[in-house]
Amino acid sequence: MLAGQILNGLVSGAMYALVAIGFTLVVGVLDKLNFTHPEVFMLGGFIGLVSLTYLPLPWAFVLALVVGGLLGLFTELVAFRRFQSSDARITAALSSLALGLVFTDLVHKVWGTEQVPLPPQRGWLAGTFEIAGVQFLNLQLMVLGVTLVLMAGLHYLISRTRIGRQIRALAEAPVSASLLGINVLRVKQSVFFISSALAAVAGLLLALRSDAANSEIGLTFALKAMAIMAIGGMGDLRGAVLAGFLIGVVEALMFYFGWGRLGEMTVWLAMIVILLVRPAGLFSGGLHSREQRV
Amino acid sequence: MISDHLIITGINILMAWSVYLVLLTGSLSFAQGAFMAVGCYAAGYLTTVLGMPLLPATLIGAIVSAVFAVVLGYPALRLKGIYLILATLGITFCVRVLLENLEFLGGIGGFGGMLGADLPAVAIAVGCVAVLLVLITISPLQRIFDAVREDERVAASLGINVTGIRILGFALGAAVAAVAGSLYGHYMSFVRPESFDVLLSIYVVLYVVLGGVNNMLGPVVGAVVMTLLPEYIRELADWRPTVFGLAVLIMLLFKPNGLLSFRAVTERYRRPTKSATSGSLEQQSTPGTAP
Repeated sequence: MLAGQILNGLVSGAMYALVAIGFTLVVGVLDKLNFTHPEVFMLGGFIGLVSLTYLPLPWAFVLALVVGGLLGLFTELVAFRRFQSSDARITAALSSLALGLVFTDLVHKVWGTEQVPLPPQRGWLAGTFEIAGVQFLNLQLMVLGVTLVLMAGLHYLISRTRIGRQIRALAEAPVSASLLGINVLRVKQSVFFISSALAAVAGLLLALRSDAANSEIGLTFALKAMAIMAIGGMGDLRGAVLAGFLIGVVEALMFYFGWGRLGEMTVWLAMIVILLVRPAGLFSGGLHSREQRV
Repeated sequence: MISDHLIITGINILMAWSVYLVLLTGSLSFAQGAFMAVGCYAAGYLTTVLGMPLLPATLIGAIVSAVFAVVLGYPALRLKGIYLILATLGITFCVRVLLENLEFLGGIGGFGGMLGADLPAVAIAVGCVAVLLVLITISPLQRIFDAVREDERVAASLGINVTGIRILGFALGAAVAAVAGSLYGHYMSFVRPESFDVLLSIYVVLYVVLGGVNNMLGPVVGAVVMTLLPEYIRELADWRPTVFGLAVLIMLLFKPNGLLSFRAVTERYRRPTKSATSGSLEQQSTPGTAP
């Protein structure tokens, strides 16, 4: 039972981490909070809902990646393009918040405010497996697998490719990066594309796990990921991943020991304490962590 | 019917002013819903359980909320920018979960039995807060707030206690939000922790953005327009979040830096200075000028 809860926690943690990575990428490169991100995450579930009614599961992931990424580009164009200066942090947060409101309301208009059940999964996904007498769902394995593949892909992208090097350069020193001929706009767009694509996939995974697409999760689940991003350290990719898994497991354990109702508070309280005591994040350690920034 | 609308409008005006008061010192707070909840529950507890009249209960609720804000604000207001936004969001969530778990305040089921707030009470509250704001505007405090908001380093060099002023603004905002909360509770006569959702705090902030923050009338305009118009225009009520979101977006897009530009054109914007070293350079180099 405990092992089952821990696995559950890792599964939620994986999704937290995917969303938190998106937040942290944008914070790292633009130093701004993207409040449309939670709603793109929420839309991921509905992208899954639409594609699963007509197409097999793998296509749902492809669609979530592509549509999520395009939504990210749209967000950048509408809510961030005009607000580039570092004085405009609050303005950018507010404009992305307003765009998020519009997204949520449009989803409410199309699918209503109740959660919408997904078409049932058949085959391997619906099955279970057993380790040492404890039953696990194959779905949980899939969530973890997809997340790890995406994280590995992102790591490769950031550390080995040309665009990844440009992203790191822009995060490190925006002015020098642009002086050296990096196309700042394109790098920002790719950051939004990547982060929103990851969020949409995370939303799809959550919808698959709960068998329903829900329009409320933007302001609950995904805002918690924002706190997790701060716990891991703003702009710190490794921190976001570690904090995501950590909080996922902590929440599952609190639920297991009967403190589930305080679970939501734990994250935010932990975030406030960490912002005060260690603003660079829980896993930061001097110079090393600076290199680990996006 | 009309008086119901006016009461809700009045409460929203108070909430918008509470955001405005915090914003005067340059901090954006998403915690006003939480302070509203604190005021509502504190005053409600005093009137229903201890049998106090509404007026002293509201005042005590406001004081409780302000103390709460000082305790939370002392650490939180040392944070800046997006850190502060996150911390205030955290306060909102924490207060809600706390209220859901405090059994003597009704827990998740809600807290009821408050009565007594009517249109005159709301009107008096709005009037009192308006007088307070006017007094602030004509007193030296306004200039101190301006200094802290526009450039806290300069303000500090002038001997202004920046953190103290921030906390003062935060506490004043919390007190006003608590008055609004108390009136709201005693008007609805039943509240639940989820009445003070994070969405409430977000909406109130957006009222202020929509109305403009140049003076104390901007938040009033935002709150009145967004509360009263949907009551009379059916389509607007159906599409409220979309219309509201688009209105805020358009407002921000066509008045960039709208939120913090308290004066139309300041010397600071024409001449690159301290904050421009990172800001405006980035601005010049970004939009599609790469080779």
